[in-house]
Amino acid sequence: MTGLQNSKGLETAERYYAQYGARAIELKKEGRKVIGYMSALMPVEILTAAGVVPVRLKGFVDEAITKGDAYMESIICPFVRNVFDAAIKGRFSFMDGMVLPHQCDSIDRTNDVWSSNLNLPYWHFLNVPHVTDGPSIEFMKEILRVFIGTLEKFLGTKITDAAIAQAIKAHNENRRLMRELYDLRKSNSPLISGVEMMKVLVAAMSIPVDESSALIKGITEEVKKRTAPADGNRKRIMIIGDQIDNTAIPESIENAGAWLVADDLSIGGKIYWPEVDEKTDPLQGIAERYLRKLKIPTTFVSDGDTYEENLEARFGHLKQRIAEFKVDGAILFIYKYCDPYGFEVPAMKSYIESGGTPVLYLEDEYSTSTLARVKTRIEAFLEMIA
Amino acid sequence: MAEEKKGRAVATQTAARIPKFVRGNLSATLKAKEEGKKVAKAYIADGQDEIMRAMDIVPAWGESFSGVCAAKRDAEKYLQKAESDNFSRSLCTYATCHIGFEMIREEQGGAMPEGAPWGGMGRPDMILGNGQLLCDPRFKWPQALQHYLRDVPVFITNMYYPPWDPNTDHHEQEKFYVKYCMEELRETVKFCEKITGKKMDWDRLAAVVELSDKTWDLFIDTYDLRKAMPTPMDTGDAMNTMVPLTFNLGTQEAYDFYVELNKELKQKIADGVGVANPEKYRLIWAAGLPSWFALNDFQYFNGKGAVFPVEVTYRGCERIERLDLPKTNDPLEHIAWRWVRYWTHWYDAARKRPGSIPKVERIIEYIEDYKCDGAVFHSAFSCRSWHAGIIHQADVLRKIYKDIPILIMEGDIVDISSYNEADTHNRIDAFVETLEAYKSKRKN
Ligand code: SF4
Ligand code: SF4
Repeated sequence: MTGLQNSKGLETAERYYAQYGARAIELKKEGRKVIGYMSALMPVEILTAAGVVPVRLKGFVDEAITKGDAYMESIICPFVRNVFDAAIKGRFSFMDGMVLPHQCDSIDRTNDVWSSNLNLPYWHFLNVPHVTDGPSIEFMKEILRVFIGTLEKFLGTKITDAAIAQAIKAHNENRRLMRELYDLRKSNSPLISGVEMMKVLVAAMSIPVDESSALIKGITEEVKKRTAPADGNRKRIMIIGDQIDNTAIPESIENAGAWLVADDLSIGGKIYWPEVDEKTDPLQGIAERYLRKLKIPTTFVSDGDTYEENLEARFGHLKQRIAEFKVDGAILFIYKYCDPYGFEVPAMKSYIESGGTPVLYLEDEYSTSTLARVKTRIEAFLEMIA
Repeated sequence: MAEEKKGRAVATQTAARIPKFVRGNLSATLKAKEEGKKVAKAYIADGQDEIMRAMDIVPAWGESFSGVCAAKRDAEKYLQKAESDNFSRSLCTYATCHIGFEMIREEQGGAMPEGAPWGGMGRPDMILGNGQLLCDPRFKWPQALQHYLRDVPVFITNMYYPPWDPNTDHHEQEKFYVKYCMEELRETVKFCEKITGKKMDWDRLAAVVELSDKTWDLFIDTYDLRKAMPTPMDTGDAMNTMVPLTFNLGTQEAYDFYVELNKELKQKIADGVGVANPEKYRLIWAAGLPSWFALNDFQYFNGKGAVFPVEVTYRGCERIERLDLPKTNDPLEHIAWRWVRYWTHWYDAARKRPGSIPKVERIIEYIEDYKCDGAVFHSAFSCRSWHAGIIHQADVLRKIYKDIPILIMEGDIVDISSYNEADTHNRIDAFVETLEAYKSKRKN
């Protein structure tokens, strides 16, 4: 479909993508504890420092919700519902525990539903604040300490500052490596397709950081050896949204004759650009990264004196990425019932359009059942910008 | 129908004063400009009421505005306006209704949209939100609104409370939560000082806070009168009588209102006057904002002999002594403690009952105190804050307490397209039958 050659690293990514959690199961057999989590707001550095296997949970778009609806209202964002449905059906039975960072109402208001019904040996709700001022950074450090305390108690080990500092380094390195791989999408045509990249991003969130780094490194080396296919006239698309973690949408874009070259997704662009400052106190660095550097709509940003300056602070990174990756059009893919993303659609759309990049806004489900509709809209958009 | 009318005829007289209150709040925002006062687009249950009152900042309540539009069944044009600029219909409709209204006004160069309810609401000089644990729109709505009111400064504070965790003692965490709340409140004061150009009068704030505490106590004492059988007031009225507490906290008018209500309820009890005659079933409105366009459904319940002596919704206060607040001379510290303890004071009870959660402990307490036979929840599709987790609350209630009849109604707060009166009434009829069966089973 993409005309790109296969490679061993990509095969591994493909396997981890297709059998989600397979590596965690293997590691669990070796005696490691597995902690599942949701959202880009999870300070994975702490899980790594604790020596557990962190697995970011995902849903399964081609599976209907069959059990979850008995526990969770349909007014919850469809992504959260789908992940919960998978969890309650036992898809993540390898988990020893779970952390739910406070991202949005769909997560906060279902905390009890998850914890009571999954009944895992370890459970933690990480109360991440929505604002980014000085007191909020101090507060974030406090809740990180509480979190570390509960994890230490569960694991029966101490999570030292030195271990956290070490984990910070490993995750920063991982982020740099992933950005290098992203760089290979800058050429025309890109050396790695959006569909392949999606598999890498998903695989990476299901394995320990050192394994992830090795995997990404391998893939980058393999991909670098490729020669770009000749069809360089395709439109270059960027996708923006929260957790899109399957190939259905990238396939819709690339099968319609465009390249998906960049993203600002919560499993991709949003988490691989910002790093933790290694020179400061580890918890300070973590608090700052998750509150101030991550650009997700659940943290209120008001760095500027004017509305326009605030727009730059909220969305400036999007314009940069659009320029760097020579993006011709952006797709804003928002889940239904998502207030945090939903309320910023007009502002974000007009901000991106003001830079001359057309935007397609889609509000949809986390399900392939509506894919035909989505495909039609994407095709119409690509025709429009052709 | 005759029965239904009778139900309403005995509603409280005091509640009939509420439209004047709501209208007064709206027109105060219009008058403020002439009086040189600042108007703040503000949010209920946001912990900032007293700061605003002490600084003569006039709150413009978007929730109230949208609720009034809904009650008049005139929200659609605003919802559509917001939708025309890509605000999804699945978002909080209080927010989208209000944003649609402001969008139209801005397009008209500041002229009030024609037909705005009760003369409309004044343009804000500032927007005060709170990224608290209550809901996302409390900080996303201000941001979205500023897209159309670009010159209006926004301040978002963040007031949290320790999350419920059966395995963690929240008392250990309270201190740093309170400290954080206080710091955030201080930031709010600084922002308000900047916008108003006036310094906070701390003595005045202390007096306002004291008045709020008194109002909280009086509110609870007054609502407790509804324990009487038959109950002299039900949730249908409480959806009105909550207005002074919710929108006018820290004002003498709010306090005086509950003095009146208290008197009237005592009189009704003395006269043996109840909401339904005869009162057959006592219910708790266990969660959910009401459908403002369908408040008559409460009368429908009343017509069947079912009354709601108690509700969780809009009972946003507690008897102060019950919260066991540390003594302090700093009004902000007092607000902070009151805030944290209000949300956490059911935690200890929940911890004692395995499998319980604080929200359900609260429901159980009310069921027992108000002698309820069943629970009704309302699930409004556009607000996750109050309505996500209702299925779970109902499940837990059944599991850890008893298998009482439960009805979960579905609808919305503002968007009438979600509502079907005939279906709703059919569901209520079926529920009343269940109640009857449950009661007779208990008698046998
Ligand atoms: S998509 Fe929106 S509602 Fe769903 S988890 Fe993400 S932020 Fe929350
Ligand atoms: S609590 Fe619900 S109805 Fe109120 S503003 Fe928040 S989302 Fe909207």
